Amino acid sequence: MNSMWRTVIVAVALSAVSSVAVAQSRDPAGSPEGDRRARYAKLAELPDWSGVWSPDWLVNSQNRQLKPEYTKEGAALVEAYEQGQERGENLQGQQANCVPPGLPNVMTQPYPIEFVFTPGAVYIITETYSQVRRVYTDGRPLPDDPDPYFNGHSIGHWDGQALIVETNGINPRNVLVSGVHATEQTRIREKIWQEAPDQLIIETTISDPTLFTKPFVTRAALTREHDWEMREYVCAENNKDAADPFGRPSMSLEEGDQE
Amino acid sequence: MTRAVASWAGAIALVGVAVSASAHHSTAMFEWGKEVALKNATVERWEWTNPHTFLYVSVPKAGGGTERWAFEGMSPSHLSRAGWDKRSLKPGDKIDLTYFALRDGRKGGFNISVTFPDGRVIRQLPVGVSSGDAAR
Repeated sequence: MNSMWRTVIVAVALSAVSSVAVAQSRDPAGSPEGDRRARYAKLAELPDWSGVWSPDWLVNSQNRQLKPEYTKEGAALVEAYEQGQERGENLQGQQANCVPPGLPNVMTQPYPIEFVFTPGAVYIITETYSQVRRVYTDGRPLPDDPDPYFNGHSIGHWDGQALIVETNGINPRNVLVSGVHATEQTRIREKIWQEAPDQLIIETTISDPTLFTKPFVTRAALTREHDWEMREYVCAENNKDAADPFGRPSMSLEEGDQE
Repeated sequence: MTRAVASWAGAIALVGVAVSASAHHSTAMFEWGKEVALKNATVERWEWTNPHTFLYVSVPKAGGGTERWAFEGMSPSHLSRAGWDKRSLKPGDKIDLTYFALRDGRKGGFNISVTFPDGRVIRQLPVGVSSGDAAR
């Protein structure tokens, strides 16, 4: 490229930048562009949940020791599950086959999560299984008759500095507590707030009148890790583990095919 | 950490409640918590992959020759934040290791620690974490 053309290209680029700057300063509130800018500016009023949040393994393990109060139907499911374990079944879940856990357990996997605030939606990105939850904060209602999704269908709103998330449409393959799967009646409410500058608490309330006599409430804690980056997690990269349809585990000892 | 969470964590540590070791599978296949040693191993292959790392080694057999062992490990997501990386082990490295054995008797298990000839030790899980995730 000769120097004359380089000069022309730079000049054109500079004039494009300056016209964008002029256009920005002229967007009045009430214009589409002005409204868009106002919606983004409002995000600055939300709490700072930037960065990478690591789950507290100890707290999350303790959650798994908590037991809901079951209906007769729910208790029968747990009993059948435990009887299966005595036969060597129900020892391994579908996560061993790289099927993601979905809600609620997607929020308490051992690896970190991050939050992205945008006008109209909060995105929750989880490292484990590289999952994304979309929590719509644009005022829409929950869907009436949603297709089952692993991460459900979520709407959210801010109650002061706490994010309240309501979810329905949870895939019946999802495990709510050991031996008990979601139903069409399952609803999950999450309250997420910053307990300390680098600590988030997620209070999860699972309601399902077919399974539980009263809502089942657990709490998880997350710590902001200032020097971490999110990593890729593709489960099918080199999975040697498996669960058969009865939940019996197996593991291959063959080498993976990657170098 | 809030006081409530701190005391909760403390209570768990005291009673030794199972601590999640894996995002991916249960520990039912292994003699989880029963750490045994394999000495004089030579690294053949180190798979730095999700959902688990894998370590293949050879060890001398009584009476001559070698035999191959295979060990699952934690994921790069966990290990990269515990000081490990894709070059932590390489073919030819001489190591001693500890593991939780496979229940089915095959030559393998879940790797817990690796000790190098200079005495340096790297661990897959923190000291004291020896019980596993329930099936989920």
